Amino acid sequence: MNSPRQRAIAEFVLDHLVWFMLAAVLIAFSIFVPNFFQIGIFANIVEQSTFVGVMAIGLAIVIIAGHMDLSVESTAALAAMITGILFCSHGIGLGLTFTPEWLVIPISLAIALTVGGVIGFLNGFFTIKMKMNAFIVTLASYIWVRGLVVAISGGRSAQDLSPSLRVIGIEQVLYIPLIAWIAILCFIVFSFIMSRTPFGRHIMLVGGNAVAAFRAGIKVDRLMFISFILAGAIAGLAGWLLAIRTSGATANLGTGMLFNAFAAVVIGGVSLKGGVGKLPGVYAGVLLLSSIHTAINLMGLPAHYTQVILGLLVLAAVLLDTLKLQIRQRFA
Amino acid sequence: MSLPTLLELDDIRMNFGAIEALKGVSFKVGRGEVVALLGDNGAGKSTLVKIISGGLKASAGRMVFDGEERFFPTPAEAKAQGIETVYQDLSLCTNVDVVGNFFMGREIVKKWLGLIPVLQEKEMEVVVAQALQNAGTRIPSLRTNVEHLSGGQRQAIELNRFAHWGGKLVLLDEPFAALGVEQTRRGLDLIKRIAAQGIGVIIITHIMQQAFQVADRIVVIRQGRVAGDVPTRDTSPDEVVGLITGEALIGQAQETRPNGPQPN
Repeated sequence: MNSPRQRAIAEFVLDHLVWFMLAAVLIAFSIFVPNFFQIGIFANIVEQSTFVGVMAIGLAIVIIAGHMDLSVESTAALAAMITGILFCSHGIGLGLTFTPEWLVIPISLAIALTVGGVIGFLNGFFTIKMKMNAFIVTLASYIWVRGLVVAISGGRSAQDLSPSLRVIGIEQVLYIPLIAWIAILCFIVFSFIMSRTPFGRHIMLVGGNAVAAFRAGIKVDRLMFISFILAGAIAGLAGWLLAIRTSGATANLGTGMLFNAFAAVVIGGVSLKGGVGKLPGVYAGVLLLSSIHTAINLMGLPAHYTQVILGLLVLAAVLLDTLKLQIRQRFA
Repeated sequence: MSLPTLLELDDIRMNFGAIEALKGVSFKVGRGEVVALLGDNGAGKSTLVKIISGGLKASAGRMVFDGEERFFPTPAEAKAQGIETVYQDLSLCTNVDVVGNFFMGREIVKKWLGLIPVLQEKEMEVVVAQALQNAGTRIPSLRTNVEHLSGGQRQAIELNRFAHWGGKLVLLDEPFAALGVEQTRRGLDLIKRIAAQGIGVIIITHIMQQAFQVADRIVVIRQGRVAGDVPTRDTSPDEVVGLITGEALIGQAQETRPNGPQPN
């Protein structure tokens, strides 16, 4: 019954399921949703995918390595708020400037990455050095980092980001703003790192069987620590992009993104068990979610229903993860 | 048949509090020799294997490995020197392909711009294909994830990997416990081929038939002592059962002999 060729096809489909789903959804929406099929809409989907997409990269890496990071959303918010406070000219912004002006780009980026990296470092420290459960540690970070955002902003917002920074959010190439290109570039770079470098290979190995990897001489703890710091820094980048896009920061910026990122990661084919998943699939997962979001808006459904649909999607994604495992076992 | 000695155990003793688990065990393993370690439950086989592979520190005795007198403080140290216990499924990552597992932690990389290490998949695949071919192991596709391979194929990957990376002595604890008849037969062939590459093999098994099929020599441990150390072709299953249960006279004869094996 199950010839090797059948299995190969089943494997291929299961491995790239999210791409098939994305194609199906885009075709269906183009046919059935009025005004969906136009360049502007597609460009908008790509742009919307920027923040959740970047955040999902770090989350995916940690999950593939066999852990969990619930703090990425709050970390991004903190990075955005600090960028906002330092480089906005109104609200609680301090309006720092440099000569030449473009220096604000690398400096603000470095600050955002550092802020994220520090949160990631703390997550890694408690999880790996103190041997605490990653779920609890990062849940705590999710709460206290958001608390810190509210505290340092006093609940107020920062507006009017430095124009030299805002350029990145405004300038477009091929209908797509630069921030979205940055997200795409991130996916390309990290996909390469995960599939073609020893670091990525070792992350896969550790996620699959940490004991075996350890026995083979891979420094498991160091690798896990790095992946937490990386997830934090990438969340910091997401926050930086978010601040640029909204030209400032509010205390509740990015609320709810964690669940979108989570859904995208799982829909994108990353198994919560660890050791399974590819980053291009995660990007497809993000695009899929944005497409559904956009279609809901276009159809004029009340915004409140969006959250219900997203919740169901997360459920469906985890169910899919389980189903895939069962199908695989049948073919194995 | 006289193979150069790889491992020599001399009067190994092990006490756990007042309990004497090993009461002076001595035997040798030659390069390329397969030694079957037999004995009833609680005879001290596992303790002995742990002492050899650095998992336990012997209370007394001497071990000479590869010409040097030493015990290994940790399994990692033993491993670095070429002694390893191979457990089924414990040392493979089933979510990664054969090549990835073979090169685990030792990947071939080329630096891009002298900075970014990039995996050289094709080069690695060639090496794995060559290593498996030399060992006479056939695996359909080296790009298949290990989860899709049979137990026997997994064992082949582990043992070949061990041999390829300079392993000298491999300890196998009940290696065929989970395998079928045909797979076991292939596993036994594999052990012979591994040994033919000059690697010493100690195999622990409860199944007499397997010991007789694969081992050059059979060492029987009984109540913490070597009850018998005989070339496989000079003994019979009945005699070995006698040694294990303590009914045979040859067991007592062996105990009075100081250095176990006799050259033939």
